[in-house]
Amino acid sequence: MNRIQTKLEEDKKLLSIYFTAGYPNLDDTTKIIHDLEKSGVDMIEIGLPFSDPLADGPTIQDSSTQALKNGMTTEVLFNQLKNIRKSVNIPLIIMGYFNPMLQYGVEDFCKKCQEIGIDGLIIPDLPVDVYHEEYKAIFDSYGLINVFLITPQTSDERIRFIDSVSDGFIYMVSSASTTGAKSGFGNEQTEYFKRIDNLNLKNPQIVGFGISNNRTFKAATTYAKGAIIGSAFVKHVTNEGIETIPNFVNSILK
Amino acid sequence: MKLKVCGMKYQDNIEQVAAIQPDYLGFIFYEKTPRHFNTKIPKLSSDIKKTGVFVNEDLNKVIQKINEFDLQAVQLHGEEAPFYCNMLRTTTLLKKPVEVIKVFSVMDGFNFKILDEYEAVCDYYLFDTKGKLPGGNGYTFDWSLLNDYPSTKLFFLSGGIGIDEVEDIRKFKESDASKYCYALDVNSKFELEPGLKNIGVLREFINKLSNNKKMQEYNVDERGYYGNFGGAFIPEMLYPNVEELRQNYLKIMGDPDFKKEFDQLLKDYVGRPSPLYFAKRLSENYNTKIYLKREDLNHTGAHKINNTIGQILMAKRLGKNRIIAETGAGQHGVATATVCALMGLECIVYMGEIDIARQAPNVARMKMLGAKVIPALSGSRTLKDATNEAIRDWINNPVNTHYIIGSAIGPHPYPDMVTRFQSVISEEIKWQLKEQEGRENPDYVAACIGGGSNAAGTYYHFLHEENVKIIAVEAAGLGVDSGESAATSVLGKEGIIHGCKTLLMQTDDGQITEPYSISAGLDYPGVGPMHAHLSKTGRAEFMSITDSDAMEAGLELSKLEGIIPAIETSHALAIFKHKTFKQEDIVVMSLSGRGDKDLQNYIDYFKI
Repeated sequence: MNRIQTKLEEDKKLLSIYFTAGYPNLDDTTKIIHDLEKSGVDMIEIGLPFSDPLADGPTIQDSSTQALKNGMTTEVLFNQLKNIRKSVNIPLIIMGYFNPMLQYGVEDFCKKCQEIGIDGLIIPDLPVDVYHEEYKAIFDSYGLINVFLITPQTSDERIRFIDSVSDGFIYMVSSASTTGAKSGFGNEQTEYFKRIDNLNLKNPQIVGFGISNNRTFKAATTYAKGAIIGSAFVKHVTNEGIETIPNFVNSILK
Repeated sequence: MKLKVCGMKYQDNIEQVAAIQPDYLGFIFYEKTPRHFNTKIPKLSSDIKKTGVFVNEDLNKVIQKINEFDLQAVQLHGEEAPFYCNMLRTTTLLKKPVEVIKVFSVMDGFNFKILDEYEAVCDYYLFDTKGKLPGGNGYTFDWSLLNDYPSTKLFFLSGGIGIDEVEDIRKFKESDASKYCYALDVNSKFELEPGLKNIGVLREFINKLSNNKKMQEYNVDERGYYGNFGGAFIPEMLYPNVEELRQNYLKIMGDPDFKKEFDQLLKDYVGRPSPLYFAKRLSENYNTKIYLKREDLNHTGAHKINNTIGQILMAKRLGKNRIIAETGAGQHGVATATVCALMGLECIVYMGEIDIARQAPNVARMKMLGAKVIPALSGSRTLKDATNEAIRDWINNPVNTHYIIGSAIGPHPYPDMVTRFQSVISEEIKWQLKEQEGRENPDYVAACIGGGSNAAGTYYHFLHEENVKIIAVEAAGLGVDSGESAATSVLGKEGIIHGCKTLLMQTDDGQITEPYSISAGLDYPGVGPMHAHLSKTGRAEFMSITDSDAMEAGLELSKLEGIIPAIETSHALAIFKHKTFKQEDIVVMSLSGRGDKDLQNYIDYFKI
């Protein structure tokens, strides 16, 4: 069983943290992962930076630009992670745009992920239809779970299709926005969370976008299995550096 | 070659056949046939000519039917005399003029002499098999008879054409006998029962025919791909918007009211048709025949407005009230701001911070037109980043907003939609060249390519004409190997940019790089997926032109023809220095934009 699936069976609400690999400094990647695990985070999304991150707001854009300037590449990231499984046990997911993976070679990329012990991928600009037709077999053969996004505009029919193609969790984008654009939830989100909950999908949902503190984490996990924090964490690292990661995580989970 | 589907009878079936977009649909008003048409014609795209088929009918009755059913053509299947045909062409009783197609039954030893007296009184001939009953008899005649065809009038080929004849048609097309063949006329071989057409077989027939002509290969397929390129690689947040567009764009574009409004605005507001100008002195200089398609004379000074007019009407049909766009040099931004002012819609234009500083006059234009110009501050702060920002805006405003992409790029259906709106360029070239040279097809069509919308429009109706060679001109910047270039077909690798798979300039690691050209309209790191396909298949010849060659060519056109071109266009004009054409060759070049916006660049470059 994949580490993501095992984690999802735990009887608790899960906290997943996104960070941009190679930011603020090129070699911060493994320290950030270790500190996040030690602080009690359940799952980590390692952001592979891209020059043109369409779905991201300014915070993650800027961290990606900086990471690339620092010299981050797919190869560098794989090298940094090559011994990560000697010390880290929680699920690790690589989140990135499709073009760098395409250039690396999708199969080679998947193979490398398996070697390292990456459990899954989130690729916002690889649509479920294309994945299903062209890449699912490859991902499956290397034991990787691919995670798809849904939004308040996604139709029930499409959600059910995504559910049928998924075998980990569904990334529930809280509102129509890029990352880091909005904070907090209104009635609209609550209604949406309830609507999805009522679909009784086979995959649990983890909410992302708009979660930045204990209050929003609790609100997001009322109806969902967990929540993902990205921009708020990257902001924290920008402002406070990487020495105070436990403080950030504690403030969410307190 | 055009297609006429004849013997339509049932409403639903008419709509189904119309969806395949034949050029003519035939309705038989002769009562002694099982295909006699006796109901109403549903609303059809104005691209399809409704044709009434009559056999020795009383002239007044024909006129009455033409008016009643708004027919655009009549096909006369009996022994109608020349004066009868002439009456239909001259009578004042018709609300609108009709095309007159006179049918002749052909068999061995057909005497073409009979055509003489019809030459002046009808628009087309239709050659059918000689048979017992007037109208479709389902037997093909020996088409080689047409080798002796003495006229230059265009004709329809008819009689027993079915799916099994595809190979014969292909051979016929390659023979001299087909020189004046204008259209194929099909009927009984595609029927489930008399008057009821089999859509599947009809579609297969069209596909097979166009496969033979490689047309299918160059147009977008149902999945949104041109060969390996295209598709829609978009985040889920954009899916509902793009899907809404995908499901509706062809339907909307096919709607006669839409077409009417679009055509009207192109005519009255944009100033179309744009002239096809024979550039005499330029031609003399290069010892070949050069025609310039004057898109520079359009309102706002470039081809861009063809697309923005189309998309703003599309946005209105989709119920959107907020328009966003990206712009590099500001040409597409101005064209978008213009149509938003025209329609009274909110307009937001994203433009790289660096471009805003470089293109102050266009920023001022957009503001005068009421648009809000938002600087793109991310990445390299140029066109690529402005496009990213526009896409992010669309993600954040998924319900009321339409994104008017300015080139033949982006996720499906954008490249196809933009190409179709721009295809008016090649549509006009065809009839204009026919008027001036007596033939629709030039030997070459050429255009400059950034994303490639003016090129796509210039090539569109020639893609499947094998005798027309296609030239695509990219910006080499300081030289293809200089590291400062925008020659995507040479320097690009297959990848994904702004939602589509195409050729793009990128690092080995898949990061998109910043191109360079003196022309702000050509320095896009990707190229439209159709052009990537034309490049890979070799259908188009790609040439790269440096800054300096382009600037010289711009100056040359100014001095030889009194036309100051946009620097983008100057790249295309520079090919004459690098490629020799034959004296008798006809080269049609898209003069995509005027040079007013580039005056400062020309001044700086030539120290004028």
